[in-house]
Amino acid sequence: MKNLLKKELKLALHPTAPLFLALSAMLMIPNYPYLVAFFYTGLGVFFTCLLGRENDDIGYTLLLPVSKRDVVRARFTVVAALQLLQMLIAAPFAALRQLLVPEGNLAGLDANVALFGFAFVLYGGFNLIFFSTYYKDVRCVGASFILSSVWVFLWIGAVEACTHVVPYMRACIDTPDPAHLTEKLVILAVGAAVYALLTVAAYRRAMRLFEKQDL
Amino acid sequence: MTPLEVVGLNKAYPAFRLTDVSFALEKGKITGFIGRNGAGKSTTIKSLFNLVHPDSGEIRFFGLDYEGHEREIKQRVGYVSGAFAYYGKKKLRAITSVTKAFYSNWDDAAYKDCLHRFALDENKTPEQLSAGMKVKYALALALSHGAELLILDEPTSGLDPVSREDLLELFLDLCDAGKTIFFSTHITSDLDKCADRIVYIQNGRIVADDTLEGFVDAYRLVQADPKKLTQEQTEKLIGPRRAKHGVTALIRAQDADSFARPSEKADLEQIMVHLEKEEAE
Repeated sequence: MKNLLKKELKLALHPTAPLFLALSAMLMIPNYPYLVAFFYTGLGVFFTCLLGRENDDIGYTLLLPVSKRDVVRARFTVVAALQLLQMLIAAPFAALRQLLVPEGNLAGLDANVALFGFAFVLYGGFNLIFFSTYYKDVRCVGASFILSSVWVFLWIGAVEACTHVVPYMRACIDTPDPAHLTEKLVILAVGAAVYALLTVAAYRRAMRLFEKQDL
Repeated sequence: MTPLEVVGLNKAYPAFRLTDVSFALEKGKITGFIGRNGAGKSTTIKSLFNLVHPDSGEIRFFGLDYEGHEREIKQRVGYVSGAFAYYGKKKLRAITSVTKAFYSNWDDAAYKDCLHRFALDENKTPEQLSAGMKVKYALALALSHGAELLILDEPTSGLDPVSREDLLELFLDLCDAGKTIFFSTHITSDLDKCADRIVYIQNGRIVADDTLEGFVDAYRLVQADPKKLTQEQTEKLIGPRRAKHGVTALIRAQDADSFARPSEKADLEQIMVHLEKEEAE
């Protein structure tokens, strides 16, 4: 597994994937739909899979002394690491945003604890849709990305719209920290749990599909 | 113990079918795997590595079933494709440093020796290599992890005649060193020069599995004017093709005496060309 992770990082990872982590700084924009910042990690995953197709990454990897399951496990490990890393990098920007610009976010949800719960759900849905499609046919990277992007933007649209039209969201969730912190922490915990569940489901489904796939 | 044994491999696609593909390789020999484009060579090779899932059949490397021994088998097998296209913009040094970590028998000295022998520059990227050099790099990787069996998939396609000759000499050297080579190609003239055995696949079926001499000696090539042939002679022609003067066709070696004009020995290409014509008719 260590060798496959090394292969992922040294040969397979698209350079934009780690660079997009810096877009966590978008949480510093005074008024912006902050969930969009989390879309870019998915874009980096898409670029990595696209680059893999052009480089015949799967062909190279499957001729190494590894199994198809190992290949899926390594890719999920790297993707989950990128997603969690973005959470870690984004957190100080969210704190800084609230410190420097105490006024709320006029464009949508504040950069608060709840934002990360919603971002977790965004990632979980992305993983389930993207990898369920990708590992059905690793040549169809574009279709995987289009389908998962539809989910991402529907989710972003729904969450941001709720901050304007749902009174509970407006009064309780779309507020600067530490106001209503308990509710926001619950959203964060539920979001993290949904992320874990959807990612594990995506991983199992991806392994099953990839195992069956004729290359 | 045979390095590779395939028994009763079947795989059905909507428009193509591998049917009861069976063959075995002899240790230290070059086995040519021939057939026209689309005959099933690539599907067979992909099945060996489970990249394509056969509907039925058995594949054993070194007496071991692939399932359950995949990692062990891959340590002992090298795959070299003429269409090497991995990580075109990465330096060979980077690809090697990743690849070597997967092999318990990786031999740095053997790798350096291959780099020197093949004049490979590790600071180049695959994109900067010619087709022949890409094959040599893939071979260098396979030889450095001590592969006992080399599966070569169209390794000489797109190479100039000199590079092809260089590679063929190299394959002969490797066999002398005890390596077993399974050489898939539709450039049959390469096999005339180096193969010990021939496995011929046609429309997904193995139609010949013999020594090169046995396979070639089974046929003769005749040129004839069809108007001057008797009905009996015409029936003995295999895959007649129009030529400048009359037709050329294969005949079975034992039928050679039935023809007044002396027949010639056929090479692999001529045999394949006429057998394919016969199959198409």
